[in-house]
Amino acid sequence: MKISVLAFGLMAATALSGQAYADKLDDIIASGTLRCAVVLDFPPMGARDASNNPIGFDVDYCNDLAKALGVTAEIVETPFPERIPALMSGRVDVGVASTSDTLERAKTVGMTVPYFAFEMAVTANDKSGVKSFEDMKGKTVGATAGTFEAIALEKSVKEWGAGEFRPYQTQADVFLALSQGQIDATVSTSTVAQANVKTGKFPGISVVGKAPYDIDYVSLFTNREEYGLINYLNLFINQQVRTGRYAELYKKWVGGDLPSLAVNGVYR
Amino acid sequence: MFSYTFHWNQAFRALPQMLDGALVTLEIALLSMAIGLALAIALTVFRLSGNRVLSGVATAWVEVARNTPALFQIYMAHFGLGNFGIHLSPFTALLAGIAFNNAGYLAENFRGALKAIPETQARAGRSLGMSSLQAFRYIVLPQMLRVAFLPATNQMVWAILMTSLGVTVGMSSDLAGVTQELNARSFRTFEFFALAAVIYYLIAKAVTLAARLLAARMFRY
Amino acid sequence: MFSTALTWSDLAFLAHGAGMTLAVTAVSVAAGTVLGIVFGVIRFQFGPYWSAPLTFALDIFRSVPLLIQLVLGNALQSIAKLGWPPFTTSCVVLSLYTAAYCTEIVRGGIDSVPVNTRRAARSLGMTWWQDMRYIVAPLATRVSLPSWIGLTLGVMKDSALVLWLGLIELLRASQILVTRLQEPLFILLLCGAIYFVISLPIARFGRYLEERWSPND
Repeated sequence: MKISVLAFGLMAATALSGQAYADKLDDIIASGTLRCAVVLDFPPMGARDASNNPIGFDVDYCNDLAKALGVTAEIVETPFPERIPALMSGRVDVGVASTSDTLERAKTVGMTVPYFAFEMAVTANDKSGVKSFEDMKGKTVGATAGTFEAIALEKSVKEWGAGEFRPYQTQADVFLALSQGQIDATVSTSTVAQANVKTGKFPGISVVGKAPYDIDYVSLFTNREEYGLINYLNLFINQQVRTGRYAELYKKWVGGDLPSLAVNGVYR
Repeated sequence: MFSYTFHWNQAFRALPQMLDGALVTLEIALLSMAIGLALAIALTVFRLSGNRVLSGVATAWVEVARNTPALFQIYMAHFGLGNFGIHLSPFTALLAGIAFNNAGYLAENFRGALKAIPETQARAGRSLGMSSLQAFRYIVLPQMLRVAFLPATNQMVWAILMTSLGVTVGMSSDLAGVTQELNARSFRTFEFFALAAVIYYLIAKAVTLAARLLAARMFRY
Repeated sequence: MFSTALTWSDLAFLAHGAGMTLAVTAVSVAAGTVLGIVFGVIRFQFGPYWSAPLTFALDIFRSVPLLIQLVLGNALQSIAKLGWPPFTTSCVVLSLYTAAYCTEIVRGGIDSVPVNTRRAARSLGMTWWQDMRYIVAPLATRVSLPSWIGLTLGVMKDSALVLWLGLIELLRASQILVTRLQEPLFILLLCGAIYFVISLPIARFGRYLEERWSPND
């Protein structure tokens, strides 16, 4: 009698604790949908087509991830400042949103290994006379607030001690301001710069050169404590490169030399 | 329920930076109020002038300022005018947007205040040999300002709140801009914005108090 | 000069944005007004001393920029893991914001009903509730309605800020189109015109009521 009660109690406890330890990876598989935070004014990573549907590298990447998990993908549009609250509130499961893996941010969210790498390019208004990164000294420059390149550029402007730095809230606003001549030049990821110049929607701007900043590695992110999911995501990124899908997507959306995602001389 | 750990010390370390931002916020609010007040008086004169073009301009101004979002007005001042090659810096665009908005609302307040001043007073002034402008300047305007003082105080608080919209046009030195910058860097949204909210509250209260003291001084009989 | 890349589907997109603006406004004003009436009666009934905590709390909503309130509200719901979609968060924050202003309007309205009128009602044997329902409510509504209409218009315009949370309302819809079509001036003017068209009739109605009901005429 005593033993059966004990056994029942143990069983119940196992069942309950099993329930309590279902992690996010289990939740996603059980729910059948993967909700990705994607920034949609950041071509070619995220954009809208002529009927205002989401397209882009990040959108495809999310779909691949969903396929690997055996679930359907749901793209949740999040402006840059909205990425983290959306994750924290459980509105999205994973951020596939070109998020630079800074140490400062890793205090708040869990970052995977890099899934994409940006080089920084200088784009200038043709009338400004800016022909290289050095020419930006003393000019009015801008970038998307809070991004890797914005932080670096603001630091440069402070070091030069001349000119003005303006952070805009979206990448689109930066290029709009640049094409209107509100700012003389901007530093952005070269993929974004090329994609925007190529559209021909912004007359009078061109990519004039590279910016001497470190490569901006961006990673997927999810809640800091979800090791199971982060593990899965790391392997997924590895597989994407291994199977050539990364190269395929890169060719489809960006084109040109495939950037390496590995950092020389160190483990992660 | 809360698996989130607050990092308050990170926010407090940024306090000096945010207080610098608060000064810029106050500066924009005060400037926009001064410009808005001057414009509003001009608009009121236009409306009373009887000149069709002038009063049409004034009415259009007031209606647009009151019937479109302030965010829209500021966005328009930066990117809309930029389309014509008129480049306002974020600071100027923000200031222009808020001043435009202030002028519209204040002019409407003045319209209400004017109703409270019997027309016979201005007529009495005219019969004493004042020109219509003099009658406005010496008889109507002082009373109008008195009646409109309280609504104008509210508008001042509004102006402070509106400065937070500058982040959409690349403003980074005011309180909202500084806060958003800190937030984008660290993703610690709640801590930084809660601190900003407290600072905004204190500024708003300080301004209201100052206005009350000023009113007690100015409008003593 | 009037050639534009704007298509009918883009116009439908804008209209959809305007619909979102109206939806957020309608929900927030409805909820905010109910809350505002409750808070207003409480403030009037309990007197300034006992309702001081309520007054203070509501005052915060009127002294902090709405943008900051929205960001904070969103961060708070995310920390509490409520998982609200942006629409819910926006409506909750805007409702409280509306309620804060509406409380003042309601209190002012109740204040404007002469005490003698209410005493007369009570001495006729009406209960507090009957007095509120049949005497105070009609008189106070008459005084408050113009300001309430002003508040509704204000909330509609302020609702543009919910774009920060990712809701595609009128202004955000215009920004998306500006990004794609690169015709900032034309699209922004169109956006302004839509705001104008929505709010002007309501504003005119408010002014009409104000003139019609103004006590001195």
